[in-house]
Amino acid sequence: MTDWTGMRPNPSPIRQWWVLSVRVIAPSLRNGELLIAMSLSAVFTVSLYLPLKNLMAAFVHGSYAQYLIPVIALLAVYFSAMSAALRSSTDTVSGINRRFGSMPIAPMTPVAARMSGNLYRCATALATAILCGYLIGFRFYRSAEYTIGFCLLVMLIGFTLCFVGDLIGMVSKNPEAMTFILVLPAVILVMVSVGLQPADQFPGWLQPFVRNQPTSQFLYALRACAGDAGHSTAAVTTLNIAPALAWLAGMLVVAGPLYALAIWRRR
Amino acid sequence: MKSATHDDALQGRLPLYDDTSSGLDGRQRSETSPQLLVRQSWLQTRRLLIRWRHDAQTVILALVLPSMLLVAVNLVFGKPVSTVSGTSALYGSVPMAALMGAIFGSTAAGVNLMREREQGLLTRLWVLPIHRASGLLSRLTAEAVRIVATAVVVMCTGFVLGFRFKQGIAAAAAWVAVPAIFGVAFALLVTTTALYLANTVLAEATGMVVSLLFFFCTGFVPLAQYPSWIQPVVEHQPMSYAVEAMRGLAFGGPVVTPIVGTLLWSAGIVAVCTAPMVIRYRKASMR
Amino acid sequence: MPTSEKTVIVSGISKSFGDVAALRDISFEVSRGEVLGLLGPNGAGKTTMVDVLSTLTRPDRGHARVAGHDVVSHPARVRRSIMLTGQQVAVDNLLTGHQNLMLFGQLQGLTQAAACARAAELIREFDLEDAANRRVETYSGGMRRRIDIACGLVVRPEVAFLDEPTTGLDPLSRQSIWDLVGRFKDAGITTLLTTQYLQEADALSDRIIVIDRGVVIAEGTAEQLKERTGSRYCEIVPKDSKELPAMAEALSSLLPYEKPTLASDRIVIPAPDGANTLMEALRRLDVANIGVADVALRRPSLDDVFIALTKKPATRAAGGSAAEVMP
Repeated sequence: MTDWTGMRPNPSPIRQWWVLSVRVIAPSLRNGELLIAMSLSAVFTVSLYLPLKNLMAAFVHGSYAQYLIPVIALLAVYFSAMSAALRSSTDTVSGINRRFGSMPIAPMTPVAARMSGNLYRCATALATAILCGYLIGFRFYRSAEYTIGFCLLVMLIGFTLCFVGDLIGMVSKNPEAMTFILVLPAVILVMVSVGLQPADQFPGWLQPFVRNQPTSQFLYALRACAGDAGHSTAAVTTLNIAPALAWLAGMLVVAGPLYALAIWRRR
Repeated sequence: MKSATHDDALQGRLPLYDDTSSGLDGRQRSETSPQLLVRQSWLQTRRLLIRWRHDAQTVILALVLPSMLLVAVNLVFGKPVSTVSGTSALYGSVPMAALMGAIFGSTAAGVNLMREREQGLLTRLWVLPIHRASGLLSRLTAEAVRIVATAVVVMCTGFVLGFRFKQGIAAAAAWVAVPAIFGVAFALLVTTTALYLANTVLAEATGMVVSLLFFFCTGFVPLAQYPSWIQPVVEHQPMSYAVEAMRGLAFGGPVVTPIVGTLLWSAGIVAVCTAPMVIRYRKASMR
Repeated sequence: MPTSEKTVIVSGISKSFGDVAALRDISFEVSRGEVLGLLGPNGAGKTTMVDVLSTLTRPDRGHARVAGHDVVSHPARVRRSIMLTGQQVAVDNLLTGHQNLMLFGQLQGLTQAAACARAAELIREFDLEDAANRRVETYSGGMRRRIDIACGLVVRPEVAFLDEPTTGLDPLSRQSIWDLVGRFKDAGITTLLTTQYLQEADALSDRIIVIDRGVVIAEGTAEQLKERTGSRYCEIVPKDSKELPAMAEALSSLLPYEKPTLASDRIVIPAPDGANTLMEALRRLDVANIGVADVALRRPSLDDVFIALTKKPATRAAGGSAAEVMP
């Protein structure tokens, strides 16, 4: 009689990570999630560029397309972070995290797998944003290393925000409320920044917030990396990039231990 | 559990409800009577409203977020828009926030409908001797209540920012009615879609449609600012009509054309969606 | 009220979903106050049968009358006389128990005052007083099932459809549901009970219908079905298992033409005379001075009935046990 209870192989963490990542990524290729993520970037581009192009002509020097695309990329990344929260929350509520917890899987492996899926989605959104940008006149005016820096920075922002989103999703108990609750703050953060118009268009009392909030800092860095036709954007100096990186580092420093705490409390 | 009394056992009955008692009302009427429809729809609407009381967080968020959106939009675009158009941007942004609140919240109702289908509650209600249309009617009524509440909250926020009704009380009442009409029509659309689609897809698809309506609407940026080739689309989309109707009712300007436009759009949505919705609801309740 | 009155009459009901024939020409009747158990493997058609009778599905062919009304031509009248509980608990989770009872009461025509009084009465009856004002989603499994059934009893039904009512409940909750079904009987409510839990069908049903692949393959009381499947047998466990062969020797004369069956630690012999055979066996073992650890007189359980009836024909010949399968 064959031993139907099976063998006990020794699972390698890399293999587990790969299997779980495929679990996250493969369905999105089939059920249109990927298409939705890509069309989000396209929709944002069209929705913001067309209405605001003429309106902002008096306040923004140079091409509005050049001004706008960095915030399109950021918006797409913010939405990826929200769907990261949704996925993480669904996994927690459905009990599969509990199941994984009782298997010989390192606690960070499902997390790493979800992050792979999130990064994949961020990368797709970024690529679509750049493609849409090219269609409306956005260009990379600096050398190749700065272009790579632009993309890397977006991915880094995506990683951090998706990590935070994953954490939020894990501690929340209500997947549907998740999207609902996170959408508006994200949208507001993007609107009350230099993403759509320069800081001096805001009421005076609001300008310090506009200039210093993390979204604006990210945008200053991204615009510096992309450059401008008239070379009117500031050069890429540590002064431009450092605040953005500092914000990211700060978020990770706070979120990391909180995440570990959340996992430990579950056990 | 307590055991039946001797007397009851003699009558062959549990201490169950006695059919001949006068507390029983309406049992003798046929299931399809219109009086029963009203009463039973109202009972089910009340059930949905009671649910909100038990889920206070979501409700408060649903009421407050549109106002926050209004404040943000006003902060960001208030200055450029009023510079360009000459009047306060609030007469466009307050209606738009009210409409956004109306339609964004209908996703939650759609998701709830799908969850109740999964739980078997739809089936349970279908097997009760109640009017077949009361279930759907109650959901739409609950949505209307939510929309009016949201519109009032947004209106109050508008007051704080400087929004005023310059056309009188009757116009103000009509102002609240416009998002109710359009919102219920949209809720019908979302309900129909909820009966066809899967959970997350519904929320994202609705979100995208709603965002597009928002960005290409005269409440966001004045019509003249859009590139000329897209102006016809912007002018004739349902949300623009609703915003212009509300702008006319609050501030001044053409009222009849935009109201007619809103009504036509709403009637169109209702006409297209009603039959599929009724059919799918029946199918979702039965097996 | 006449106890011979038939409250559920099913005649030639057939229903297919696409290519799958869920029900094929099913006919049976249920009297007032009777508890009918519907048994069958998954996918046999039990739930479809309940759906047809509770107006959730229209049959392709055949007729069914519930509480005197045809399910196809007068579904509204049928709905006034029935209550249905499904495998899932189907009440509004965000409402309290009391609010749920009020909802079901008022929807079925009670005034607010009457519904409130009725709700209070049912809460007392079902031991839900502490939880009446808590949301149903906070209830335990047994409590959820009780509020589920209570909501169906706000107005008296004539026929109750219970679809796997005790699945997932602990033994205490299960027992309370069993008591309830007993009280349905006393009250003259006809009950159709679907269950996979054979002991439940055995304990509760007056009659059992076994459905397999859309067809009724057996009908009768639990006793009748067990008799059909096989006769009784004795199991004797010796104190010392090394004495098994000696035991076999001592008992062999009880069976002129057959050897008793030997399992690893016990002897199984057919018991055509029931208890008399048992006493004779014990007497002989006593004479032979063989110590006995355990002795039992068994009849096939409903499990055996079920397996025997629903086993595929090819494997029937291969199976061998003390219980014979009747042709």
